[in-house]
Amino acid sequence: MTASPKPSIGAVLTAPIVWLARAADMPLRAWQRLTGRGGMIAFFLIPNMAVFGIFVIVPLVINFFYSVTGGTALFLSDRPFVGAEHFDRLLTCTDHFNPTTCREDMFWTAVWNTSKFVVLQVSAMTVVAMITALILNSKIPGKAFWRAVFFFPVLLSPVVVGLIWKWILQRQGLLNFALYELDMTQVNWLTERSWAFAATIGVSVWAHVGFYALILLAGLQAIPGDLYEAAEMDGTKPGRVFWRITLPLLYPNLLVVIVLSLIRAVQVFDEVFVLTSGGPGTATLYLTQYIYEVGFASVLRNPGLASAAALMMGGVLVVLTLLQLGLTRWRDRK
Amino acid sequence: MGRIRIENLRKNFGAHEVLKNINLDIGEGELAVFVGPSGCGKSTLLRQISGLDQPTSGHIFIDDKDVTGVSAADRGLAMVFQSYALYPHMTVLQNLTFGLQNMKMAKVEIDRRVADAARMLEIEPLLSRRPGQLSGGQRQRVAIGRAIVRDPTAFLLDEPLSNLDAELRVSMRAELAALHARLAATMIYVTHDQVEAMTLADRIVVLRAGKIEQVAAPIDLFDKPANRFVAGFIGAPSMNFLTVEEATPILPTAPAGTALVGVRPQHLDPAETGLDVTVSLVESLGTETVIHATLATGTRILATLPGHVRAKVGEHLKLGGDPARMHFFDGQDQRIG
Ligand SMILES: Nc1ncnc2c1ncn2[C@@H]1O[C@H](COP(=O)(O)OP(=O)(O)OP(=O)(O)O)[C@@H](O)[C@H]1O
Ligand SMILES: [Mg+2]
Repeated sequence: MTASPKPSIGAVLTAPIVWLARAADMPLRAWQRLTGRGGMIAFFLIPNMAVFGIFVIVPLVINFFYSVTGGTALFLSDRPFVGAEHFDRLLTCTDHFNPTTCREDMFWTAVWNTSKFVVLQVSAMTVVAMITALILNSKIPGKAFWRAVFFFPVLLSPVVVGLIWKWILQRQGLLNFALYELDMTQVNWLTERSWAFAATIGVSVWAHVGFYALILLAGLQAIPGDLYEAAEMDGTKPGRVFWRITLPLLYPNLLVVIVLSLIRAVQVFDEVFVLTSGGPGTATLYLTQYIYEVGFASVLRNPGLASAAALMMGGVLVVLTLLQLGLTRWRDRK
Repeated sequence: MGRIRIENLRKNFGAHEVLKNINLDIGEGELAVFVGPSGCGKSTLLRQISGLDQPTSGHIFIDDKDVTGVSAADRGLAMVFQSYALYPHMTVLQNLTFGLQNMKMAKVEIDRRVADAARMLEIEPLLSRRPGQLSGGQRQRVAIGRAIVRDPTAFLLDEPLSNLDAELRVSMRAELAALHARLAATMIYVTHDQVEAMTLADRIVVLRAGKIEQVAAPIDLFDKPANRFVAGFIGAPSMNFLTVEEATPILPTAPAGTALVGVRPQHLDPAETGLDVTVSLVESLGTETVIHATLATGTRILATLPGHVRAKVGEHLKLGGDPARMHFFDGQDQRIG
């Protein structure tokens, strides 16, 4: 098959790539001859490392310098060294459980809001993901369609998610319109404190549950079917099958879901920012938004204070990530 | 206790008819073995009996009670799966007790049953381990133990030994035979392995494409196969089939209506006169030699000769046989006589 009169479409389309690859071949060979194996490894790693360095490592280092310098100036050279002053300011409270007694009351409001959000959102997420996965794993018609439906929101940009739900939940939104049509009392979903808080949890669960349900679904499908048949022969009631067989075997996946959603919930920002902007009042003010406002949005912006808060939040995330790593290792060893 | 009767059982998967009108009566305490080629419906039939699957039509009776619509758990049967299906996150002890706890059985009774089964199967030292920490043979014992503690009316075993190596299979086979003798319980055993079927079974049920071809004791099956399929399926190497003309040198007169003559490889010996064959392959197994050969007509012939036989590829041999040990089949492949 050497002399084909008409080249296939595939060959035509890949021709430029082939040509490029050939062109790159020569210099790469020369490079390899010059630097050996190590040089090739470096060649393939450097682009990624450069991006990672510029957008992660460098900001991290700069962030640290911001946190120990004061003033509103943006250039580090214009910023006086203040030591741990920002940290001190963030952490000083008469009673840490009561933000109004703190020097940075907004910071502590955000901390407690975020804590409450994380606990409730992660619990809700785990339960909803579990139920979704169980339903998607059962013998329902149109399984593939439903899987796609539940996964779809994951693909949406958080801003779009925020806008969609704002459109549904705002005072003259879709939901209130429906309630009006049904002659039911309308609710100010986004401007009543507890409803707004609940809405941020509900919306972020809706937006990400497909991803976690998928992790659990993969776990469910990895459980051999004959275990369920053995359980059936053993006369096991459905509830007991779930608690004694499904759940323990799903435990590793469940752990992944909990830790990943935990890490993500701590950083909650974009959907909520679009949906409520932290309001009403400070009801849905979470840590990332606090950092954003202090650092960039407020009239008296204070990059040092924001950096200090960001570093502390980063510390929490490092602990959570190490926890996840530890759990994964422990699970793999078992 | 433990008689299982199957009446007019059919099972379809969509348009695909997997079991076609099965009728079968398995006696109390009997060890029945289902054999047949892969995909013939052995596992499907076992699953209908177990209650894990429901037949399209027909009835299943256990001790004269119609259990067709009864759930798997309430049929009082226990199943041993090919993959063992042990709960991987539970210890051996928990695996054994799980089903009994479902029945809300008293703890003393559970302890007694587990102790008995563990002693019988010699798995006492393993009780605190998990299935992942056991060898294949040990897992197999635990799987059998899980069936035994339930004290079932009958045991259903789907290729229980197929995941074990050859040596372990032989010893587990002997243990299963001993277990059957000791428990005196009805057992239905599915296997691919003829030797397992022949050595374990009280009766063998030969299935092909969803139909029962023959039900008989192992020796009867070997000596009097009901049709050409059973004749070819039981016995290793398989029976040789010759036309009446081809068989003339060793069979002067065939019974009326014979279309096909069957001769087992073990029943052919070198002789002065007989089938004129050309050797194409010689397999020396030590205790016996299997000769692959062809007739002038091209028909392949196998002969199993005792001991070492000096034969060369391409050599001409004459094979004789005893007409009394031959099998005759009519135009519909059914046995004559
Ligand atoms: N759930 C199912 N859906 C559709 N077809 C099935 C199903 N289970 C079995 N079959 C078909 O039924 C036929 C019999 O299958 P079965 O598993 O009973 O065979 P078997 O005799 O046990 O084979 P093996 O010796 O390979 O285990 C096969 O053709 C199989 O493809
Ligand atoms: Mg099978």
